[in-house]
Amino acid sequence: MKKLLVGLLAALSLGMAQKTLVFGSNGEPVSLEPGNITDGISIYVQHQIYDTLVDFKPGTTEPVPGLAESWESNKEATVWTFRLRRGVRFHDGTELTAEAVKFNVERWWDPKNPTRIDAAARYEIWPYLFGGSKGEEGSILKEIQVVDKYTIRFVLSKPFPAFPAAIGSGYFGIASPTAIKKDGAKYGSPTGSAIGTGPFRLVEWRPGDQIVLERNPNFWKPGLPKVDRLVFKVIKDPAARLAALKAGTIDFTTDIPPANLKDLEGDKNLDAVFRPSFNVGYLALNPSHKPLADKRVRQAIAMAINKKAIVQAFWGRLGVTDGHFTPPSMKAFQSPKVTDYEFNPQKAKALLAQAGYPNGFDLELWYMPVSRPYFPTPKEIAEAMAADLSAIGIRVKLQTKDWASYLADRKKSPGFQAYMLGWNGDYGDPQNFYDPHFLGPIADLFDPQGKNLVIPELNELLVKGATTPGKEREAIYQRVDELTFDLALRVPIVHSQPLLAKRKNVTGWTPSPLGSESFEAVDKR
Amino acid sequence: MGAYFLKRLLGLIPVLLGITLLVFLFLQLIPGDPAEALLGERASAEEIAKLREKLGLNKPLYVQYLTFLGNVLRGDLGTSAVSTIPVAEELKRRWPATFELALAATALAVLLGIPIGILAAVRRNTLWDTLSMSFSLVGVSMPVFWLGLLLVYLFAVNLHWLPTGGRLSTDLSIDFQPLTGFLLLDGLLAGKPHVTWDALRHLVLPAITLGTIPLAIITRITRSAMLEVLSQDYVRTARAKGLAERQVILKHALRNALLPVVTIVGLQFGTLLGGAILTETIFSWPGIGSYIYEGILNRDYPVVQAGVLVVATSFVLINLIVDLSYALLDPRIQYR
Repeated sequence: MKKLLVGLLAALSLGMAQKTLVFGSNGEPVSLEPGNITDGISIYVQHQIYDTLVDFKPGTTEPVPGLAESWESNKEATVWTFRLRRGVRFHDGTELTAEAVKFNVERWWDPKNPTRIDAAARYEIWPYLFGGSKGEEGSILKEIQVVDKYTIRFVLSKPFPAFPAAIGSGYFGIASPTAIKKDGAKYGSPTGSAIGTGPFRLVEWRPGDQIVLERNPNFWKPGLPKVDRLVFKVIKDPAARLAALKAGTIDFTTDIPPANLKDLEGDKNLDAVFRPSFNVGYLALNPSHKPLADKRVRQAIAMAINKKAIVQAFWGRLGVTDGHFTPPSMKAFQSPKVTDYEFNPQKAKALLAQAGYPNGFDLELWYMPVSRPYFPTPKEIAEAMAADLSAIGIRVKLQTKDWASYLADRKKSPGFQAYMLGWNGDYGDPQNFYDPHFLGPIADLFDPQGKNLVIPELNELLVKGATTPGKEREAIYQRVDELTFDLALRVPIVHSQPLLAKRKNVTGWTPSPLGSESFEAVDKR
Repeated sequence: MGAYFLKRLLGLIPVLLGITLLVFLFLQLIPGDPAEALLGERASAEEIAKLREKLGLNKPLYVQYLTFLGNVLRGDLGTSAVSTIPVAEELKRRWPATFELALAATALAVLLGIPIGILAAVRRNTLWDTLSMSFSLVGVSMPVFWLGLLLVYLFAVNLHWLPTGGRLSTDLSIDFQPLTGFLLLDGLLAGKPHVTWDALRHLVLPAITLGTIPLAIITRITRSAMLEVLSQDYVRTARAKGLAERQVILKHALRNALLPVVTIVGLQFGTLLGGAILTETIFSWPGIGSYIYEGILNRDYPVVQAGVLVVATSFVLINLIVDLSYALLDPRIQYR
């Protein structure tokens, strides 16, 4: 009995000495290997274990030094030289050097790299963001040079002014080459290690249950992290997660449905937290459907939908609507001439008549069957839009299918007539928003002949914008903004602010627009 | 008896083979491309093609099936297409969680259901009977999800009597290394009874949530079976002989009434082993049900195939045990 009491006391006192922060995760990471994932949950955990070359100012998409103290490029933005911080150590004690960085980038870039993990390896994110893998024609990266122990140079095949922002995205944490070589195929899985330079070290990953991290005592930022232990507790169901937050089982969490905002505000133990908006939810209008081939018809649709009312009803404070495809944080790349489509059903009807549809026409409107961060309740939002369109004579038929088919079939000619979809930015550059959606041949929009849509003027601008460095880019993208607004191929409905929540005693949490951030500065009173 | 057992076991094989084939075929009929679902909005045609190649989705169907079957016989249940964790390993890890919960729920259902059912039969048409039957009706009709959330909000969030979810408190779970995975047992084995107590507290609400429907069903079945047996001649004889009522009910009537009850208990337990998805979701219980469910959502073929196979196998084995237990209960049953 005495031993039991002593044991209990010891356990309790250990618990008291350590400050533990518990994060309610809405799912399970796929892998803790950098460069091999695209899901937000994996990135969130990786953000605590790894650092990237380039970091972002908390709460923004503005690049600031990360593992690289500084970087510079040549005038054409084709050669990028990064100077690394000295004295930074991985959790296994090995040192961060230019060779280590090269080791990591080569694994992402080179399909023939021997240290790639075979099992269902998905190193797709590097080729996706950087034009292709090593050896492929579109690859932006041409060569990696180790200039000296702490200096690394990337030689590109074409100008890429956004290179630092892209390589700074959460996908590209720098891992310890020693650990990767040692663990082989197990690296980043629950049975292997995950070794970075970040504020927290991986202690244990129990799949389906939780991930336990502890403070990195040799973290290169002095005074951080604030807590001793960080636990990612997996609670998939939103209602259960909110209950856990209320009961104090978890300290903070993300992915709270907007409908719970009032609940959060009414609870004296909780605070509602807002992630800066970095997404767009839009209504795509496909020219392959005859009426929509006419720009006036698309503009009429944009003018008939009461976007302000819809956003107010379904998002409340958590959403804004405007005419820009890019989110509000990309103001520098947005044209001051563009505000929003005027909500004017009368004018819209007149436009329709002008285009030759005085009595409207039939339209199939597709909505997704799953909740998305930019469209939390797609069916209801679709119904609201359909009601608005019927007021100007457009007879809407609502359609949906399972998510996988939805994504696949929209790319099969002639595609869907009108459909809802969205996008969350990978890094803070307009190219990441525009190119996948407007750079022809466009994958999910078709011309009246059924061929993938190409708009030459837009293509020219987008290619120029991607390869022009400096302030000139801003002017180019502003022109893109004006053009896409006029074309009304994808009508922006909302830029939503995902709703997060924390207990009142949690401080120092600044959510990033990019979807995840380091918890190094988060503390618990 | 031994021959019968062997015969039944051999009879399992075609059943299980048939199950794997059915599961395999069903999954192929579901619309949607698994590679596309895994990659999401960002996928380009080349990326999808590459992933299909990596996952072996381009091989002919019969090749995919035979490959799977060969692996199963070697103990390799494939690797999750999403998480890259071997499925067999994951199922082995989650199995104790599901088993413990199913056992707790069934135990609750049996320990409460049978006595209530007996009493309802014995005191037929009294208030007690009416109450227990109404309770049973409500129990069977109540949506599991709703009940679970209700219990969480009442007992965990508002009263703070019990935890909101998981198998162990965060603090304990960090340092405790389970031996078998059955936490109630592991706590005792490690000489840490406070762990067993914590695990028990975490088990209460999920067991009640999961056990309510089986409880309702077992109560009704027990009552019906008892009523039927109590009306038999030999019961009248036993009473006439002057035996105490208690002896009549428990020793003579119950034993014979148990046959249908045992069947139902077995079926319920088997069902709980594979189907506790809703409960596992609400209480973040890392069991097999949610694993298979996620597999279905993600079109994670290896997980769904192997998961269903394991669940079906368990179900069939439990049925076998139930069948064999009849001999214990009723010596009249001959096995040829």
